[in-house]
Amino acid sequence: MSPRLIISKYVIERLSKLDTNEPTGCLYGLMYDGTLLVVGLSLEFFENEQKTYRQLLLQLPAEVELCGVIKFSETLSIESKPKEIFQDVDITDNPLFIVISKDKQIKAHFLVHDKFEETNYEVLQPEELWKQFIHVRLNTVLPLTCEATIAGVKNIMQNKRKKIASGQVSFHIDGTSIYLFGVASDVGVTGTSTEANIGELMDSLGPEQSSKKKKHSINKVEIVPVNLVLKTTKDMLSDKLVKTAVKMMTTQRKPAFCISMPLRVDTLAMIHRNTKLSELYTVLVEAACRSLRLLEHVLLEQLGQEGIGDGAGLRLPETFHFLPPEIGHFITRIVPKGIPDESMESDRRSLHEQLSLPQDRPIFRRGNAYTSNSAKLINPHEAIPVQPVKPDVAVALVRGRYTYHHYMQDNFNDDGWGCAYRSMQTIFSWFRFQGYSTNDIPTHRDIQQCLVNIGDKPSSFLGSKQWIGSTEVMFCLETILGVQSRIIFANTGSELLSYTPELVHHFERHGSPIMIGGGVLAHTILGVEYNSVTNDTRYLILDPHYTGVDDVTVVVSKGWCGWKNSDFWNKTAHYNLCLPQTKPAI
Amino acid sequence: MVRTVYSPEYCLQYLEQYASQENFVLGLILGQVTEARENIIHLARTPEEKNTDTGSESSYVSEKPEAVRNLLGVSEAWVADHAKHVTRMLPGGMFVQGIFITSDEDIFEDPNYFSKVKSVLNYTHKTLSVNQYMYANYPHSNERLILHMSTNTKVLTCKSIEVGVGKSTSIKNVDWKFVPKAQQWQRLDCYYEFDDVYPVIVKKSGISVKQQFQQILESAYKTIESSVMFIDGELKDGSEALEQLIKKKKPKNSVKSAQDTPKSMHVSLFVPFENSLPETVEYLECDGSIHFSGVVSSSVFMYPKATVSETIAAVKQDIIRSLASRFTMHCDALIDDNLLPEEKVCFNEPPRRVLVPVGSLYLCDYLFPGEAPAEALLSVKELLDLQITEGDVICDVETPADTSEFDALDRDTSSEELLATPQEASQFMYITGICFAMFVLVVSIFIHYYDSIAVCISRLLSRS
Repeated sequence: MSPRLIISKYVIERLSKLDTNEPTGCLYGLMYDGTLLVVGLSLEFFENEQKTYRQLLLQLPAEVELCGVIKFSETLSIESKPKEIFQDVDITDNPLFIVISKDKQIKAHFLVHDKFEETNYEVLQPEELWKQFIHVRLNTVLPLTCEATIAGVKNIMQNKRKKIASGQVSFHIDGTSIYLFGVASDVGVTGTSTEANIGELMDSLGPEQSSKKKKHSINKVEIVPVNLVLKTTKDMLSDKLVKTAVKMMTTQRKPAFCISMPLRVDTLAMIHRNTKLSELYTVLVEAACRSLRLLEHVLLEQLGQEGIGDGAGLRLPETFHFLPPEIGHFITRIVPKGIPDESMESDRRSLHEQLSLPQDRPIFRRGNAYTSNSAKLINPHEAIPVQPVKPDVAVALVRGRYTYHHYMQDNFNDDGWGCAYRSMQTIFSWFRFQGYSTNDIPTHRDIQQCLVNIGDKPSSFLGSKQWIGSTEVMFCLETILGVQSRIIFANTGSELLSYTPELVHHFERHGSPIMIGGGVLAHTILGVEYNSVTNDTRYLILDPHYTGVDDVTVVVSKGWCGWKNSDFWNKTAHYNLCLPQTKPAI
Repeated sequence: MVRTVYSPEYCLQYLEQYASQENFVLGLILGQVTEARENIIHLARTPEEKNTDTGSESSYVSEKPEAVRNLLGVSEAWVADHAKHVTRMLPGGMFVQGIFITSDEDIFEDPNYFSKVKSVLNYTHKTLSVNQYMYANYPHSNERLILHMSTNTKVLTCKSIEVGVGKSTSIKNVDWKFVPKAQQWQRLDCYYEFDDVYPVIVKKSGISVKQQFQQILESAYKTIESSVMFIDGELKDGSEALEQLIKKKKPKNSVKSAQDTPKSMHVSLFVPFENSLPETVEYLECDGSIHFSGVVSSSVFMYPKATVSETIAAVKQDIIRSLASRFTMHCDALIDDNLLPEEKVCFNEPPRRVLVPVGSLYLCDYLFPGEAPAEALLSVKELLDLQITEGDVICDVETPADTSEFDALDRDTSSEELLATPQEASQFMYITGICFAMFVLVVSIFIHYYDSIAVCISRLLSRS
């Protein structure tokens, strides 16, 4: 019997945007409960006879596997090369075949006994996807010592994978007494009932949190942190118990270069909430092995380069997880530590192409990496209840992540004068999160110093409590980040209305937050909504004058982050807007 | 509250026997301190001092003893050395807790005698603290016991003093109680496994075995300290008493057999991977590797009311103490500490652990490769003042290393081809020798029959 088919809304949207001239695509999904859920896709160009999807697979969370082929055609015929992809589908006996016609009609088929059978599918909305699926994140450090040759690295990495797959290792869910054991042990799970599933565990870990935050939740992605432990004692009852007392053997051989480093494994798996904890062991083993393969790839790539073998050229691999909002699943990248993002552009460009992502902005730089813990609120506006879509209303929002900066943060009292500084910090955080910069967010003093340095302000400005406005924000962004800004003048609050199309365009084109200063107040604009029937504009405002604690429920319910009508602006005051512009980059 | 210690009754007979025979005897008090109770496990008379003035480290081979008749004649170093050797025989969680003395003087009243007692205990404390990995001094208190039996009155007095604090020590009374029934112990067993390969530079300076073992010990210490311990496959609450774990296990045990000795518990240790490694890639040019492998068998004995945390500490101590004991004994017996660079493969086989019965539990001893169990009888007699038979020694908790196993192990783990081992080298020599002999033979035959061969060849040539 062929499985039930569910396709993530993200995939449907990406499919509908694909250029139908592309040759072939691959589909990635996971199986649960007799259902195939398609969560991702990539394009396959068959360049240099390489199957790039094999490499990409290592960058996806464990459990997500190759599950089918996309074809841009009116017919069900299939050439030999895409057909080879079917051979690599292990997750199901019935690979999926999605055909997209010229008029973007999406039809799904299962391959059953060498015949394509058209099948119906359900679409899984993003909210449901994040509610039903949980990520498990395994973090551990494996000491690695081997000969500094390609064979040496390959050999040791294979040994590490074997060791992890042998059932000797155990996993520990951070902050709990739950341990997961492999085949080498007769128990699978301790610290909880064997029937418990991962969803129940999540609920038990933060019961008060989940009930309280249900109303205003922004952190949709749930991640269970796990670490690895190695059993160092032998099983007393085993028949294979070898009781040879400790001894030491020293072997001398030909001199060779060795490398020794801590190999940091940081890997994800995507599982349904109903997955039993006892089933988690094999998932984690697979996740660890994927990470080791990816690490091996990065090490070998470096060893293959010139000038590495003779000295300190080899760099530690560093793992980053990305959750681009367009694709709705994690992509993991491992890059050598200390190599600047700029010099790895071609790798990223091909990843953009493979995932059919925009080529005009960074998505996989270090700064773009997903962070779950931040001292400040990330994207509080996402906690605002979503309004139903109306046909005559156009909405344009900030794109990507930023942190909410406001009065009194960082143990710094700027109540009454620091609002523009805070707005500037919010903008700066956006550029950091979008990967444009790795600079730290400037403090008030850093901003003042910058303005003094460029001669805009006298040195007495340093340490003062003087306000700044849109032009100062523009100067700083240009000096510190190299970001150009557009300044818009509005003589009155009402005149601001006429600039709505400019604002819509800004969010669609650049997506950065806008700083607006008027009278004595500065605000951050995160989005605009234009109703073409009533000719009304509403503004999504992030207010830096907030002095309370960083609680998203308070921030949203009290309107510190929320939609404001045009009467929010003072009819008689002048307004200056600073619209930070982005440059095309990857 | 007065400190109370519980001792098996045979210790009383042991003391009385010496008190009635001789004037003066000194020995060590061995025991276990837990929150729940302090138990004495054994008293061991310090062997007669040898009259040779050398070697505190030398073994206790009894020569004709020149008996010390008086406490004042006792050498502090000798007692300390005894304590050091005895500690090697103690499982984790057990310590040398003090000294006993039988004499006709009142050692607590006479200032000369009492200062000698203090000096012996302080010297011992100092000696035992040299190697931290031996866990030789009881870590949670510095109060050591002094048990005295008067040879005249047979009156038993026990007091304690604090050691390692200088002169101002306060004397405290201790309530020493004899328990007629043999103490029950909860036994816990595990096999801790090592399997590590380190790259090394052999050529430069050779390898100091002592240093190498010290490094292994340090890293094992860190690893074991950071490990999580399970008892019978489960993570237990540290504050729970061991006997609770058993009661929980069999709730409906209708047949109450009081004599039923509790079963041994199995311990497993789980090591989280170190996060303290330096965040750098190290480059080394190395020409050798060290493979440290094998097991340390561990059996600890706990008072059943001891807590899980106390037990965990004891097991961890046991493994480290056992490693440290073996390494020290091995290095003391080494003739040359340096692994000579000419050697291609070199084995170091420290002595292995055997168990010896003492009362209702087991202490341990170590046998060097090739030593028979009878060797253990000797040290039990000398160090514990106890007579056991060869059959009492449990020799199979660990097995001696088989050197052929090394070769197999090495071929498995290292893809790098070994330089010829001595054995292979001699084989090579053998084959070369034969080849050379054959060559000589052929040449001599050729020379001998040169004329006829030349004729033959010329015929062959002319024919063709």
